[in-house]
Amino acid sequence: MKLLPKLLGVLVAAFIAAPLFIVVPMSFSTAPSLEFPPPGYWLGYYAAYFTDERWTQPTINSLIIAFGTMALTMLLVTPATFAVVRHRFFGRGLANLMLTMPMAMPHIVLAIGYYSYLGDLRLTQTHLGVIIAHTALSVPVAFLILSANLKGFDRNLERAAMSLGATPLRTFWHVTLPVLRPGFAISALFAFIQSFDETVVAIFISGRESETLPRKMFESIRMQADPVISVVSTLLFAAVALVILAPVVWKAVRKRPNRDCARGGTPAAKDAAPQDVNPCAPSRVQLEA
Amino acid sequence: MLSVLNRGAAAPGALKPWLLLLPLVLFLCAFFLVPLGQVALMSVTEPEFGLGNYAHLTSDSLYLQVFINTFLTALGVALCCLLLGYPLAYLMAQSSPRVAALLMLLVTMSFWTSFLVRTYAWMVLLGNNGPITAALAFLGWNPPPHLLFTRLSSTLAMVHILIPYMVMSLYSVMKRIDPALLRAAESLGARPWSVFRQVYLPLSAPGMVNGATLVFMICLGFYVTPVLLGSPQEQMVAGLIGTQIEEFLDFGQASAMAMVLLASTMIVLTVYHRRFGLDRLWG
Repeated sequence: MKLLPKLLGVLVAAFIAAPLFIVVPMSFSTAPSLEFPPPGYWLGYYAAYFTDERWTQPTINSLIIAFGTMALTMLLVTPATFAVVRHRFFGRGLANLMLTMPMAMPHIVLAIGYYSYLGDLRLTQTHLGVIIAHTALSVPVAFLILSANLKGFDRNLERAAMSLGATPLRTFWHVTLPVLRPGFAISALFAFIQSFDETVVAIFISGRESETLPRKMFESIRMQADPVISVVSTLLFAAVALVILAPVVWKAVRKRPNRDCARGGTPAAKDAAPQDVNPCAPSRVQLEA
Repeated sequence: MLSVLNRGAAAPGALKPWLLLLPLVLFLCAFFLVPLGQVALMSVTEPEFGLGNYAHLTSDSLYLQVFINTFLTALGVALCCLLLGYPLAYLMAQSSPRVAALLMLLVTMSFWTSFLVRTYAWMVLLGNNGPITAALAFLGWNPPPHLLFTRLSSTLAMVHILIPYMVMSLYSVMKRIDPALLRAAESLGARPWSVFRQVYLPLSAPGMVNGATLVFMICLGFYVTPVLLGSPQEQMVAGLIGTQIEEFLDFGQASAMAMVLLASTMIVLTVYHRRFGLDRLWG
């Protein structure tokens, strides 16, 4: 492999990395407006973020809405996924299309729809309204992840349980659910993130009453007034880094004893290795921008 | 009546999937299809019934300009993502698993970081007191150019935000390319450049098409970054739709534009689907 393409690749990696990391020093800056490198460092804006109600309230709203979205999405998507994956029936293709369609919509189009429709229902500026809109947007991701997991499920396990006398409900609770737990967990996590990150629809429908964190950030960047935005950015980036790095570190830590084990002559404990979970495998393909 | 019951008893399996689907289907009808239908309806009924809003779209050159601008921007962003993403994906595909995993980690991290955070980061980078302006001034560009709120700043940020989609599409295709094919071409006497151009490039083309389609489609409806970083004189469609709602409460005109945007997105999807099949795009 020649040097030039390699060098180009490294440059692009730097292009991706630099903007991500620049927000970190900015958050400790004393400058009241955008200035890099920072003239001095302090923690004042962190204190401001955690004490200012104009920032804590949107954060709380976002958490409530994201948890609500996650719960509602899983409640609706779980039975639907079983239906689509396990049954052949008339209209299956249509159901499949409908469940993935919200993914292909530019969010600004839906934002107008929700603005007027949820407005008529008096649900704009309420948590419930935003939860409803976010659930519709989270359905495709949750469905795709869950159905991919369900397709790989060995139904003989259920047959074994049933043949041993378990009722369908008991089988689901004691066999199906535990086996699919990672799938459920990732599906729910994606629904949560989808809602917590969603900006465009929230800008139009969350209003002052149930303002979400992305809406507050958007307004704050638009006004260019509030240096607290760099603190929020750093915290969000740190959260992402933590969630992505945690499985990697965990894997590395857990792999080591296994390798020693193999070297010692005992068979490598393959089962002990955590399931390979690629955080980006079911890509967050959404026109959410 | 009896026959319905009988049929129900004879084939309970046919009913069960629909019972399981019912809650979600009802929910999506009420809170996805109806709001979407309302946008379509508003586009022909606000302020009065008829195609006036669409006629206005075609007669006013401002709207045409915005649509052309959006289209060209999306095309440019997709092209930049391809040109920049290709070397990185290539590097990942050619490196040791450890280096590839490290680079993938970086791409994933960027992918999951909120659009707003990345948009804000570009505001810092390109601001009047930012490092890039300072570097340009240091290099003798005096007075340094105003970089923020131009087409350049919004394009750069959009490329940065969307490049993970491109790299992931490319990498997933590239890592499946059999190195034996490249060795075969070499052993038959091909120069490194012809091996790349005649063997590697065509084999990686599906990834290029996937990535470019995704980036183009997302970019068509991009709201956040162009509004925050773009030039107010050169809005994109989504931004103009937002302005029309927020400032003029002109739902009819906004809805008509939204319908055109939706149709454009659907056309891109359909063309892609016809040629390659949608399953591949969602990967």
